[in-house]
Amino acid sequence: MKFWVSRLVGAFALILTVSAITFGAMNILGDPLFNILGPTAGDVSNPESVAKIEAAEAQFNLDKPLPVRWALWLGDFVTGDFGVQFSATGQPPVSDLIAERLPRSLMLLVMAQTMAVIISVPWAIWSAAKANSAVDRTSTVMTFLLIGMPTFALGIILKYGLSIRFDWFPATFVANDPFWTRAWQMFLPALTLALPSAAVYQRLLRTDLITTLQEDFILTARSKGVSKRNVLFKHALRPSLFSFITIAGVTTGTLIGGALVVEQIFRIPGLGSAIVEAILREDFPVVLAIVMIVTITFVVLNVLIDILYSIIDPRVRAS
Amino acid sequence: MNEHESFHHPGPSRTETDSPLLALDNLKTHFRTERGLVRAVDGVTLTLNRGEALGVVGESGSGKTVLSRSLMGLLPGSAVTSGSVKFAGQEILDLPMKQRRHLWGAEMSMVFQNPLNSLNPLMKIGKQIAEPLRLHLSMDKANARETAVALLKSVRIPEPERRLNQYPHELSGGMRQRVMIAMALACGPTVLFADEPTTALDVTVQAQILEVIGEQRRDRNMSVVLVTHDLGVVAGHTDQIAVMYSGKLVERAPTKTLFAEMRMPYTKSLLKSIPKLADPSHTRLATITGRPPDLVNPPKGCNFAQRCPYARPKCHVEEPALEPTADPNHVFACWYPVGSPEFTEREAELEAAGYVPATVAGVS
Repeated sequence: MKFWVSRLVGAFALILTVSAITFGAMNILGDPLFNILGPTAGDVSNPESVAKIEAAEAQFNLDKPLPVRWALWLGDFVTGDFGVQFSATGQPPVSDLIAERLPRSLMLLVMAQTMAVIISVPWAIWSAAKANSAVDRTSTVMTFLLIGMPTFALGIILKYGLSIRFDWFPATFVANDPFWTRAWQMFLPALTLALPSAAVYQRLLRTDLITTLQEDFILTARSKGVSKRNVLFKHALRPSLFSFITIAGVTTGTLIGGALVVEQIFRIPGLGSAIVEAILREDFPVVLAIVMIVTITFVVLNVLIDILYSIIDPRVRAS
Repeated sequence: MNEHESFHHPGPSRTETDSPLLALDNLKTHFRTERGLVRAVDGVTLTLNRGEALGVVGESGSGKTVLSRSLMGLLPGSAVTSGSVKFAGQEILDLPMKQRRHLWGAEMSMVFQNPLNSLNPLMKIGKQIAEPLRLHLSMDKANARETAVALLKSVRIPEPERRLNQYPHELSGGMRQRVMIAMALACGPTVLFADEPTTALDVTVQAQILEVIGEQRRDRNMSVVLVTHDLGVVAGHTDQIAVMYSGKLVERAPTKTLFAEMRMPYTKSLLKSIPKLADPSHTRLATITGRPPDLVNPPKGCNFAQRCPYARPKCHVEEPALEPTADPNHVFACWYPVGSPEFTEREAELEAAGYVPATVAGVS
């Protein structure tokens, strides 16, 4: 109980710190007024434009000291109001933008990670069961190929091969299509994200499985007459999951706002493209909102990973 | 309630009481390695009767563990076995793995050296004991659970019901070894291989574990193969002792005979290297100098000759065969055994020269 309380306090401290650093860092980057007012933003020669600048500064809270602006932002953020975009109109509100983009990114993420797990776990078990055989060595080469290949190359190959050359999968995303159509449109982009992740998971899980299979208790299980298959699934798999879970968690956190390349190739307007566009426009509230989403995702995932650890290993529960 | 009776299930051996339970003939287990063929077990012949306990004794690297694993068939893929192992009259060495597996845990089972690592850390004790019961005896969950409680009780584990839901890390080393024994005994095997079962435990617990194994052997009329480096361990708990050196059997005798009249100088050295309570404190412990020979390129002649203070030129050239003494159950392989004129002569020479068996440097 004490453990979970301290975890919760730590999580809040982390979120606050990340928001403060992001808030401060962005203000060093540039002048958002330029995008709000256009080229006249720096013109202080006539009173008319100075008045405009001052009005804009007041409207977007830019006339207040940094800590005050952070506090004001934070007050709105906890109520779910992510502020207005730093543009001439300030429309649509950041919350609306996120509400539009986040579900796409989440769907892509969930599909990609599900595929990665479905591909990697049986693959790793197969490799570990036949360690150092032709199967295992071929797998090693394939995983390194997938890990080494840049996402854009893999994405374009898949898109060209499976969608343009053979019309098996849709090539692009259409925002207004019904849910299941959109899910189908996300198959290739999800696969593009899933394959390199699956390769990493396969490596880790295979190595851990092989290590576990050397343990004394595996010999005990065999000496009881348990079949090789059941030794793998019932005795070796569970103790081998730790690195796999850790890396799967980190990868999930990275993918939520980091799928820019795939979003570009398959024309999915998600969070990845949103944050890059926002950084280029110096649209601070949007950047901040997405950074917060990524941070909170990481925090939640870490808690989930800890819970998973304690489900898997009774010794973690005890300590 | 006689809780042991209920575990027995009819194995093939129970009908053939006259043939030995285990009969090994020129058993060889070699490992293919990059350095060459490692002759871990190199031509072992012996028999074990039902209900009998055999002690297999030797240094690390003498092949005693590989011998017991070969009898089970629990060997890595690099192992090549030849010769013959008959279990209850049936040849098992060339059985395919799938069939052999049905013997494991059911007809023959194994207890390992390190109880701290031999139990699955992520599985409840109860489930681990139930596993062979459900597998070999097709028990349902409730039945297996009940049997597991009885098994834990029979190896004297207090509060057996509570243990079922505990994990190995919640138990002490001695308790875990008892659990291992209960698990190995679950399906009522006819032979139990115990590979250094007490080496990782402290002395008082050692005695208890050996007691439990002996008790179960008598109750179940089960054979036991006790593998150890410690002649002291086998002394009180076996009927027969086989001494191994560099993959070969060098002396085998009924336990009493062996201690009364051991013939092989190696056996004698092993016995001398056990500290005795009667020794005054700070007595130098006798050790065997040198290391066991390379199993890839074994020396010519007797394998022990290089380390044997009683060796003569012949020992380095010709390998002695296993010869029976007046007692046909007592065999040994030595040209100049303990008690022979040459041995006595050399011993007198050594004593005259003030020879003290080699010692561990710095220990005094």
